[in-house]
Amino acid sequence: MTQLFESMRPDLLRFAHWLARDRSLAEDIVQESLLRAWRSRDTLKDQGAARPWLLTIVRREHARLYERKRLELVSLDEALDSQAADKAAETDGDLFTLRHAIMRLPIEYREPLLLQTLGGFSTEEIARELALSSTAVLTRLFRARNKLRAICGMTPAPDVAASEAAP
Amino acid sequence: MSCEQARLHIGADPSGTTPELEEHLQQCVSCRQFREETRVLDANIRRALERPPQRVGTRRPTTTWRPLALAASVLLAMLAVLSVWLLRPSDTLAREVVAHVQEEPESWLARQHVDAQSIDEALRGAGVRLDITSDRITYAQSCWFRDHYVPHLVVQTAHGPATVLILRNQQVSGRRTFHESGMSGVIVPAPQGSIAVLTQGGANVETLAAQMQQDVRWLPDTH
Repeated sequence: MTQLFESMRPDLLRFAHWLARDRSLAEDIVQESLLRAWRSRDTLKDQGAARPWLLTIVRREHARLYERKRLELVSLDEALDSQAADKAAETDGDLFTLRHAIMRLPIEYREPLLLQTLGGFSTEEIARELALSSTAVLTRLFRARNKLRAICGMTPAPDVAASEAAP
Repeated sequence: MSCEQARLHIGADPSGTTPELEEHLQQCVSCRQFREETRVLDANIRRALERPPQRVGTRRPTTTWRPLALAASVLLAMLAVLSVWLLRPSDTLAREVVAHVQEEPESWLARQHVDAQSIDEALRGAGVRLDITSDRITYAQSCWFRDHYVPHLVVQTAHGPATVLILRNQQVSGRRTFHESGMSGVIVPAPQGSIAVLTQGGANVETLAAQMQQDVRWLPDTH
């Protein structure tokens, strides 16, 4: 089990980093999440489901920290300062712009987008995890991409109205 | 299905589809184009998210400099091939350590002492502590290396700066020295991994490596 968890660590760190927008915080979140996962390892019946299970724990750990602090865990300026240095390594300017834009997405849009693209979660799974209706998740995902479209020079689609109510 | 519904569906899940959506797309050119664009965007989002951000200090070359940068890259590549042939480094880990340090050239130039908290932050992710005082450390970052965060430090010595990478997850069977790309260094085994020390100048890497072997405290793995 330790080996299985350890093999997932890079994925978990990447996910936590994009959520928290800070490397040190991401490391703390993953460390705490792995500790929680280890304590409740008996609840993981199918090892094939370990990845989404661990990603969910990481998301909840991030949410707990976020809730505790009642504010964005890392100020956007700090996150972007850190990203500015990253610009050097990026040979593709468009990709850098996109990374920057993803960093700037509010957490309510960034979180479902990360769950979908990095976590491979379906709309229904995201809805369950975030306690939202499927329609609300679809709207948030649509809006997240619509914001990124505009930044990437594509014409954004007209916004859609949708309920944010929980299922 | 209306265009608004189709675009909501496409924007939310560009790779997903339903019979209703496909039916709409057969009749609607602009929604088809919207889906194509969104799929391109989505592929780029996935690429953008692929690697976690890393800190490096040099600036990205502007468009004006790209041809020059390309020419320089070609020249560097030729020099690299020549160096590889001349020096024939046999150690992949050493080569990757050198490549990583080359990506952070500003690290050698740092002269300001790093405060103890920043050093602690750089070390924490790798589960290590350092017993030496911080007044000789002028650079401390937690860097992404071989799928793990590793502390990357620059220590000022009497004979110039030396870089230290604490490689908790990289086991080596014994001490290895290397000379590559104008750098010389040593990788020494440690209780829970290894420590790489390298220099571009005259710093005594052997002494520093021995000191690091003594001063690094490996905290218990919590998982």
